Amino acid sequence: MTVLPARTDLLQGTLDVLILKTLALSPMHGWGISQRIQQLSREVLQVNQGSLYPALYRLEAKGWIRSEWGNSENNRRARFYELTRSGRRQLAEETESWERFAAAVGHVLQASAP
Amino acid sequence: MIRRLAVLGRSLLRRNAVEREMDEEMRFHLEMEIRKLEERGLDPDTARTKALRDFGGVDKHKEEGREIRGLARFEAVSQDVRYALRGLRRNPGYAAAALATLALGIGANVAVFSVVHGVFLQSLPYGGGERLVHLRQVAPGIGIDNAPFSPKEVSDYAAQTRTLTGVAEYHSMWFILLRDPEPERVQTGVVSANFFDLVGVKPLLGRTFLPGEDAPGSEPALVLSYDYWQRSHGGDPKIVGRTFKMNDRMHVVIGVLPPMPAYPDENDIYMPTSACPFRGSAAMSNDRTMRMVSLFGRMKPGVTLDAVQTDLATIAGRLARQYPEAYPPKEARFTAQAVPLRRELTEHARPTFLVLLATVGLVLLLACANVANLTLARQLRRQREMALRTALGAGRGRLARQMLTESVVLSLSGGLLGVLLAKGTLGLLVSFAARFTPRASEIRIDTPVLLFALGISIATGIVFGLIPSFPQRRNLVGALQEGGERSGAGVGRHRLRSALIVVQVAISFMLLIGAGLMLRSLWKLQQINLGFKTERVLTTRLDLNFSKYRDLESRRAFQIRLLERLAGQPGVVSAAIAGTFPLNDGGPQSGQFEIEGSPVSNADMRPQADFQNVSTDYFQTIRIPVLRGRGLAPSDRADTPYVCVINQTMALHLWSSQDPIGRRITVDRGEHWIQIVGVVGDVRQYGLDRRPPDQIYLAQAQFPPLSSTLLVRSAADPLSLSRVVRDAVHGIDSEQAVDRFRTLEQVHANALASPRLTFILLGIFALLALLVTSAGIAGVVAFTVGERTSEFGIRLALGANPREVVALVLRQAMTPVVIGLALGFAGAHLLASAMSRLLFEVNATDPPTFLAMSAVLAAVAAAASFLPARRITGLDPMIALRSA
Repeated sequence: MTVLPARTDLLQGTLDVLILKTLALSPMHGWGISQRIQQLSREVLQVNQGSLYPALYRLEAKGWIRSEWGNSENNRRARFYELTRSGRRQLAEETESWERFAAAVGHVLQASAP
Repeated sequence: MIRRLAVLGRSLLRRNAVEREMDEEMRFHLEMEIRKLEERGLDPDTARTKALRDFGGVDKHKEEGREIRGLARFEAVSQDVRYALRGLRRNPGYAAAALATLALGIGANVAVFSVVHGVFLQSLPYGGGERLVHLRQVAPGIGIDNAPFSPKEVSDYAAQTRTLTGVAEYHSMWFILLRDPEPERVQTGVVSANFFDLVGVKPLLGRTFLPGEDAPGSEPALVLSYDYWQRSHGGDPKIVGRTFKMNDRMHVVIGVLPPMPAYPDENDIYMPTSACPFRGSAAMSNDRTMRMVSLFGRMKPGVTLDAVQTDLATIAGRLARQYPEAYPPKEARFTAQAVPLRRELTEHARPTFLVLLATVGLVLLLACANVANLTLARQLRRQREMALRTALGAGRGRLARQMLTESVVLSLSGGLLGVLLAKGTLGLLVSFAARFTPRASEIRIDTPVLLFALGISIATGIVFGLIPSFPQRRNLVGALQEGGERSGAGVGRHRLRSALIVVQVAISFMLLIGAGLMLRSLWKLQQINLGFKTERVLTTRLDLNFSKYRDLESRRAFQIRLLERLAGQPGVVSAAIAGTFPLNDGGPQSGQFEIEGSPVSNADMRPQADFQNVSTDYFQTIRIPVLRGRGLAPSDRADTPYVCVINQTMALHLWSSQDPIGRRITVDRGEHWIQIVGVVGDVRQYGLDRRPPDQIYLAQAQFPPLSSTLLVRSAADPLSLSRVVRDAVHGIDSEQAVDRFRTLEQVHANALASPRLTFILLGIFALLALLVTSAGIAGVVAFTVGERTSEFGIRLALGANPREVVALVLRQAMTPVVIGLALGFAGAHLLASAMSRLLFEVNATDPPTFLAMSAVLAAVAAAASFLPARRITGLDPMIALRSA
């Protein structure tokens, strides 16, 4: 879709990785994903719930995750997302590039004035 | 229509499903969130408010979701379509010009494709029709390429073939069917009982013939053709079982056929061979050389045409060895062949419709070029709007897609109009096609044709929608500036417009050449000396009842009495009876003869000529000049020595410098001798474009024909005599049918009709092409002049001669025209050589046509450029400068 201007803000990319990572552990519904990220980040990262679903749809459109209707833990119909094979590959790549990026930022921040 | 609704419905349903799923998913999320908050101790209301606030606008998320999940495509397209329609409404001039061009281009293609589909592509209207073959005997060594079969041969082939499931015989005759109020002359297909089963035709009513129904002594049965049943019996549902008297016997109607091609002939009714007095006679059944019936076969499943040819050649060879006296000698290379029915039904239409297909293809290309040109002009005007929208964030892809949507919307609307146009003109095209193929009745605008229309509409829209986007604008700032139209990237578009003019001129030239060649050919056909005069002559068929006029004497008596009766009528200048007349369908019988003093031993090597029997006043009635000796005279009677008159071709062919008068010929190996008493001028017997063969005219009084035509030269309008003729015939025999009154002029016009209609069709296309192209040229020049007004103003202000400025504009305008002409020259050669089979005595590279058409095109192009360029001379430099 070229309709949307290609947003390249860091936040979105980050959210994508976090979703992929969360789903790598187990399939999950949208609300569960947001709770899990919050939990795993020790309440530091608050997922903006509004951007969660567009991100999920986007990842699904890219074929990295797929969805299925199932029953939630409290027996309600909920849409569960799981990682696809290419999603797993993507996660590996993104993790690596994130680590490189984080390391680079770390280096810059640790540099002392000459 | 229903299918389209279904597609729309499904996508809307799908759309609802996606919506529902998104709703449900988000509701679930909110519920979970509210529950979590409630568990933390908030009261339900507060929890709900907080959850909703955190989540943000549900609609906004859904909107984003929709875009991502594919619905955006649908929405964007419908938005584009709405936008396109609005744009076209705002620009009615452009829309109308483009729609008219497209409707014409697409309509012409749809119409011609409906013919191509109906005649060439769709399967034959016979069960398993692709396996049907028409058999014929040939002897290339002596120029026989399509000889029929004798009944004896029919049974031999039926018994001996290994590759055909069976063979069915067929021939056609005219009989008189007695009914109120007037006896009716009916064309009758005489067939073996297996004919309809073999060709795979099932009756609409009743049944067709049963095995054995063609055995001698069977009760005469009739099967009616659909057209005859409708025309003469008003589609009477109770027709089966009715009886009619024909040939002095009662015939019972057993069935009615469904509509089918008028092939092999336009038969009104069918009867089994046993019912035909001619075919049923002992002479016919026992003489191996009485070859008068056609033979059809059905190839066995899995058998190739080659295998059939080998099979037939084997049988032919065997028969020739077995009965040497009935077959030509070895050097005649006699054999039997099979021709697929499909080829037989369509081959005459092929050259004409290939040319028409090429023509309408070119017309569509021209339409594309023209609309692309109009679109470019429009875009040049819209540049700033586009640039503005780009600046405001519209993606290049989205803009391009929108332009494309606009062209496809335009071409689909044009296509719709085109289909209506094609539907409106289909009747004309069908009657045109009927001149070449019996399959014309199968032409209609059906689903495949509509799919074709849809396909070419979309393709056309894409082609002319993409052309203008080739020169992509890079310079956004330039376009946004005041006067941006004139800057930089506009040049690419101008060059493109010139290229489009080149294409249009080239195509117009090709079409003009096509029409020009047809016109030249038509003119030459009209110039042909027919050898007779067509003015004020009435013709009618006169088929005597076979069973009533069995002997020569009764026929002779009828014919002499009729001529006597007519001679006394007011308005009748002269009247004659003839076996047939020039340009009539069919033509005279061909036969062999021997010349006294030069016997030829082998039957097939004897000289051959057309024989026809004519009454005394024939030559005078249609004004065929007697060149030597005398014509036929009242003194040539049954009891005087047999005489004949030959045509000039025969005199030159057989006697060259010697005098043929007084020579004698025989058709029965010397039993009777016929003396040549005169030589008459040649006539175009078989068509305007065919020289006549050797022709022999026998005296009707000595050899009265059974089937003949009556010709009456009148003092005034010949058709006014038809009543007189009818009364004269019925005055002698009230059971004699008289019909098919035509004037010789109508016959002549009919012979010219195919080339004339082809010319008219090509001419219309060429004229329209010329019109569209000149409008295109004028448009480009007008645009250039408008755009460069200030420049010209400066030139004029600085003292330039207005004429020189006009000349400058004209020179620039004519450059693409000249290039187009050069390209068109090459293309026209291709088209013309494809047309060569349609042309009569006109070379495909006919220099006068090429010269004349170049001149026409150049003159029209110059005029089209001059009209808008003329504005420059009236330009006030001050106003021109200020307008900048």
